[in-house]
Amino acid sequence: MQAYKYILGLFALVLGLVGLSLGYAPDGQLHLVACDVGQGDGILAIYKDTQVLIDGGPDDRILECLSEHVPFWDRRLELVILTHPQLDHYGGLIEVFRRYSVDTFLANGLDSGASSYQALKNAVGGSGVRVVTPKEDMVLRVGMIYLDILSPSQSLLTQEAPDSRTNILGAFSSKKDPNDFSVVAILRLGEFDALLTGDIGPSEIPEILARGKVREVEYIKVPHHGSKNGLTHELLDASSPEIGVISVGKNSYGHPNEETLKMLREKGVRTLRTDEEGDVEVVSDGKSWWIKP
Amino acid sequence: MKYLFWGVLIILVFVRYFSTKPDYVDGQRLRIEGIVRQEPSRFSYHQKISLAGVSIYLEKYPEIYYGDRVVVEGTVKKGELENAVLISKEEERGAFSGFRKRVVGFFQKSLPEPHAALVAGISLGAKGSLPKGFWDNLTKTGTAHVVVASGMNVSLVASFLIGVLVTFMNRKRALILALGGIWIYTLISGFEAPIVRAAVMGSIAFSAQELGRVYSAWRALVVTGLILLIIVPAWVTDLGFILSFVATASILVFQKKTEKLFAFVPRLARGDFSTTTAAQIGVSPILFVTFGQFNILSPVINVLVLWTVPVVTILGIVGGVVGLIVPVLGKGILYLSYPLTSWFIAVVRLFG
Repeated sequence: MQAYKYILGLFALVLGLVGLSLGYAPDGQLHLVACDVGQGDGILAIYKDTQVLIDGGPDDRILECLSEHVPFWDRRLELVILTHPQLDHYGGLIEVFRRYSVDTFLANGLDSGASSYQALKNAVGGSGVRVVTPKEDMVLRVGMIYLDILSPSQSLLTQEAPDSRTNILGAFSSKKDPNDFSVVAILRLGEFDALLTGDIGPSEIPEILARGKVREVEYIKVPHHGSKNGLTHELLDASSPEIGVISVGKNSYGHPNEETLKMLREKGVRTLRTDEEGDVEVVSDGKSWWIKP
Repeated sequence: MKYLFWGVLIILVFVRYFSTKPDYVDGQRLRIEGIVRQEPSRFSYHQKISLAGVSIYLEKYPEIYYGDRVVVEGTVKKGELENAVLISKEEERGAFSGFRKRVVGFFQKSLPEPHAALVAGISLGAKGSLPKGFWDNLTKTGTAHVVVASGMNVSLVASFLIGVLVTFMNRKRALILALGGIWIYTLISGFEAPIVRAAVMGSIAFSAQELGRVYSAWRALVVTGLILLIIVPAWVTDLGFILSFVATASILVFQKKTEKLFAFVPRLARGDFSTTTAAQIGVSPILFVTFGQFNILSPVINVLVLWTVPVVTILGIVGGVVGLIVPVLGKGILYLSYPLTSWFIAVVRLFG
């Protein structure tokens, strides 16, 4: 009889499982990970057992970032944000909605004609997630993480989609650049502030600044993958970040732009790029912050 | 008489192969209608399917699944269909419609990547959802064959099952039950051609080996291989088919010898070690040639990871099926495979 061999094997598997679980013990700190998703955006914020995902990159690579940073048994994301409907921001979200259960999906109602956006709408529809459309001055709270929404502005929405329904995907279409509808938000835990900017650019930034809600922050996700059509001096001055993260991969648009890099350098902002560093993880206890090597 | 038999079989294979080989002229405009019989591969911006001997690249969405009936149009160029457009797509209907897809979906809901894809690949041969970077690591380390539905997996599962079952009963009964298990497995995996043919070859070779002499096992395997080729000639160039055949043959020939070689290994692990190494002897040269990457450490890496394959297969199948009925229980069973896939992934990343 060698039945003991199999009982022993089973025991070893359970032991291995317990051992692997210990590696995920929560540490009571905010982990802000700019995932290396290639050319695109995908940012994951984790505090204890709550997760917020901002954009999903162009494809399934976001799943690997989620697996690496979220415990394997936690298949629930408390909040997913899509800054604006362009493939390099939503492509990976299709699989995210199929595989994870998501409580709330914050995305604006601007439609996209792409067949892949149709697939995203189907995946969202099939998952029963609550859809919320963002608007300036909205404040969201997920566990201890707060999000102050700065854009899109009420005036832009009234102008482009005067009587569109809210809290639904693909409610309206517009001739304007989808980037202008980007969700801009400050994510905060205690005294740590991170400015998340999507693909916002010079055409909308003055208006956001004029509303006076941009404050000094520790962290900025450099808008639009470091494009020339992204960060402005005014935004940098108003937010005066200590660290800037550029989410960028191989591309033919010349991202990140040399002038943007220079702007950050001159302002003394420490700049990290996902195409050079892979996943960029910043950790904060709500007071100070540091980069996880 | 004996030579006549073999001669006729071989001639039939040739005749069938050349009479059914599709022949297209470059630049020819084609409209192909058919059922997708090979798992589509997915890339960042498109997906690839194979139909009637040509590779077709299509837009990523709507996604095409194994078993879908599709109509596509395009221009042939070097075995590829250029500017291919999907005209229509109809999902498979039938007794097992969508079953496999639902099991894979359950893996994906329960486990993170690349664990879910690895379990799906190992247990069902569904390699469509493997992350690109991880697939590269698999080919670099010479372990990609574990996610190609092949007779190797079937043989490993069969020997593992026999090993477990002889603990409780005599060898003959164990063999019958193990074969039963293999056929239930083919049923669950959606009767996919590669797994069915692997199961056919595996069953025949194993029964012959267990019941008679090794020589008759060999003969049975070769006859089955040839008959399968007469039925579907295109398989002669199919990697899964070749791997099925060679792995089974290799286990038949070398297992007794590798068992002696691993005499120093504790009995606990000797069976798994000797089976996987035996299969490796035949399979590795083919893998070197087809995946184009030579890794001198490949046999070592394979020995390090292959022992997990039968266990992951069984946990995956049982967990997947139970999970469709009682999700919590299925998840629990799948979790047991997590340490094994973690080990597999760590080894492959280390060497990849």
